[in-house]
Amino acid sequence: MTNFHPDLELITEYAAGSLPLAQGACVSIHVNQCRRCQRIAGQLTDLGASLFEALQPVPVGDAQLDAVLARLDDEKPLEYSHRKSSPSSTPAILQRLMRGDFSDLNWRNIGSTLRISYLKTGDPDHEFALYHIRAGGRIPEHTHRGTEMTLILEGGFSDANGSYHKGDFLIRRPGDVHAPTALQSEDCICLAVLDAPLRFTDWKFRWMNPFLKLRTA
Amino acid sequence: MQTVTDTIDDEGKPLIDADGKRIDEWSECLTLIAQKQDRAAFTRLFRHFAPLMKAFALSGSTLSANHADELVQEVMLKVWQKAGAFNAEKAAASTWIYTIARNCRTDLYRRLQKFDTPLSAEDVSDSQDSEEAFLVLHQKRSRERIRGLIKELPNDQAQILAKVYMEGKTHSEVSGELDLPLGTVKSRVRLALQKLQIQLER
Ligand SMILES: [Zn+2]
Repeated sequence: MTNFHPDLELITEYAAGSLPLAQGACVSIHVNQCRRCQRIAGQLTDLGASLFEALQPVPVGDAQLDAVLARLDDEKPLEYSHRKSSPSSTPAILQRLMRGDFSDLNWRNIGSTLRISYLKTGDPDHEFALYHIRAGGRIPEHTHRGTEMTLILEGGFSDANGSYHKGDFLIRRPGDVHAPTALQSEDCICLAVLDAPLRFTDWKFRWMNPFLKLRTA
Repeated sequence: MQTVTDTIDDEGKPLIDADGKRIDEWSECLTLIAQKQDRAAFTRLFRHFAPLMKAFALSGSTLSANHADELVQEVMLKVWQKAGAFNAEKAAASTWIYTIARNCRTDLYRRLQKFDTPLSAEDVSDSQDSEEAFLVLHQKRSRERIRGLIKELPNDQAQILAKVYMEGKTHSEVSGELDLPLGTVKSRVRLALQKLQIQLER
């Protein structure tokens, strides 16, 4: 049961196609597995279509039409079978970015309970990374210098504000401090999209701060 | 394969758009293209939608006229190729076409900025595949409602929606451009959505 969703303004930016690539990908994974957000995204896309239809048309000459008609022979209509999406539980966007599954990724250990794998989306301004936290493990207390989106893919975690489960979407703003702890029952895997590096506030990990750079590309 | 409920509204009147055309003329064109590769139907679609696509391409104001023409061609070719994926029972033709235009424009922006990405805008857009019949009906009603209410939005709210949707700008970009606090931009979006009765359910 998903309890935490992107807010309405964020889904609006998503439906309008105006979100940066990495953030759009994160919102998209949530929306495609959340009926409530899918319904609202559908309405917000219809809104976009209404605005589109109300634009003041800009004339397009017959030469353009002829050019397109001339190309139709080369572009045969594609066959569609209206197939259902694949039964795999890994979201399609991640499958595309990972080439394999979670165990095939290149993981970087941070202490004994946390490991991170950076995926390349091509978005130059955002880091797009998977966090794997061992069951019951704690991420050292840290603060955010920018915006962090988190989507829980497997398991769940809790922090001082509450507990979050598979499918939940969270957003942290600059200055939010927290120390998430994975649920005791299973490992937690989440997707985090950052526009500025984290900064550890826990003194045992502060030495790492100078090494935490935003990893994009 | 048009059913009666597709062409009339709740009160039994045919659905008519601003130009007095039956709204599902465009669904019929897409179906003809998919089933018969009908060029006359394609030409009708082109004459209506290509000028809107060109306006949409130029709205962002960063594309040259050449790129705008290129985008119109690309989108119309996609419409031709993908018509078989259009499902008139689930989606409105205009929304389906708008979505292709939106995705192609995003991809063109990214190509021009030399993004090296394995993801296309289509990969990252929502699949629009509701299965349940009552949802489809619900969506259709909300579409008609939005169409009607959109004309009544105050200018300041309509302006911001136009920037977000037609110019493809984030709320913070809009805030910078109009020199308004981010909170004001967000609250105008929220007010506009309230007026259009688009809201999250509990
Ligand atoms: Zn949701």
